[in-house]
Amino acid sequence: MATEPMADPISLIHRIATQNRDAFSQFYDRYSPIVYSLALRMLKAQSDAEDLLQEVFLQVWRQATAYSVERGSPEAWLINIARSRAIDKLRSVRRRERSFVLTDNPAAAESVDNVEISAGESETRLIMNSALANLPEAQRRVLELAYFDDLSQTEIAARLAEPLGTVKTRMRAGIQRLRGMLGTQAA
Amino acid sequence: MATEHEYWLERGDIYALGALDSDELKEFQAHLGSNCAICAAYLRETRETLNLLHRSLRPVTPRPELKARVLDEIKNERVVSITTPQPKHATRWPRITGTIAAGIIGFVLAGTYYQYRYEQRRVDSAVITLLRDPSTRDLPLYGAGPSPEARGRFLWNDSGEGHIFVANLPSVPQGKTYAVWTIARNSAPRYVGAIAIDANGQGTAHIKSTPSASPPETFAVSLENEGTTAAPAGPIVLISKLS
Repeated sequence: MATEPMADPISLIHRIATQNRDAFSQFYDRYSPIVYSLALRMLKAQSDAEDLLQEVFLQVWRQATAYSVERGSPEAWLINIARSRAIDKLRSVRRRERSFVLTDNPAAAESVDNVEISAGESETRLIMNSALANLPEAQRRVLELAYFDDLSQTEIAARLAEPLGTVKTRMRAGIQRLRGMLGTQAA
Repeated sequence: MATEHEYWLERGDIYALGALDSDELKEFQAHLGSNCAICAAYLRETRETLNLLHRSLRPVTPRPELKARVLDEIKNERVVSITTPQPKHATRWPRITGTIAAGIIGFVLAGTYYQYRYEQRRVDSAVITLLRDPSTRDLPLYGAGPSPEARGRFLWNDSGEGHIFVANLPSVPQGKTYAVWTIARNSAPRYVGAIAIDANGQGTAHIKSTPSASPPETFAVSLENEGTTAAPAGPIVLISKLS
């Protein structure tokens, strides 16, 4: 993929805070693919991912003044916004599954799992690359279930039929390993 | 990292991942509440590390129409700065007489009234425009959950604009609000606005939202904590017929 010189993302956010649309456009071009891929991975359905993408960037436009470097890198800030919103949507879907079904056609009321599989396979074909691929499968699995699927440690233990202690150990080991890859091992 | 802090850092890793739950979550949140600088720094660092996870995904370029839609949306928005301090001239001004103060109050009231009338006229005009559009849907809303007597009407256009009328809703408890949602098939509900009601349980709100990728099929009002916009958590009090 060709790379082109980009403005410093922090200065872009500062310019967005002054309602500079050109800076916003550049920021969108730079980060929309990673926000969209995260949204697809978490929400699975293209329409939901597209809605989330719009909501996240509108929030960036409205709240750019709230960004500060203490909150992390612009990318981390953006991803936190996207992930929080995606988690809210996931939880809402789960609540809705428990409370009411928005269709009077049971045949059309596909289970979320069915939707996830078909939408995910046909629309995205996302691939894993170095970071997760370099983790042992067991560690990668628990991190993915927590980060992308918003499952708690207890839910993951139940899902994998593993003791809670084992899940915790794998999570920590996975995070430590990622730290090592970043070279940010705590002193 | 301080060894005696290992107990908290173990939980901090799982907390940063969003997977800590039950008593451990409460315990760790209480610890964070004590303003532990070590854990705060550790959490920040762990979250940066976890950002590696999204980078493991292959970036997917969204459809170009989405960018156009977002840019179009922000074109209509003005972000009001709340950080710019207002200049202080008070000490340089002579003492204001009661007459001038009364004049100013009268002027402000007149301005407010004019603004109210102008705003009302603008909304009325927007509703008429909605009604003129043959693609606008007119949906009855039925009471649900704790408010079976409530009734409403929702004018909705898939451009993202709509207008809602409600009646027979109970008064809103302190700290709560009535939130309006649109719901497309197999999608999470989208917050499109809030509606205030009067002493008679009646209210109306004009909705201007981003066009959704999928047209909504169901419309609902729920009672939420103020500030809730991400997903409904409270009871549904009005809902359109399930389609």
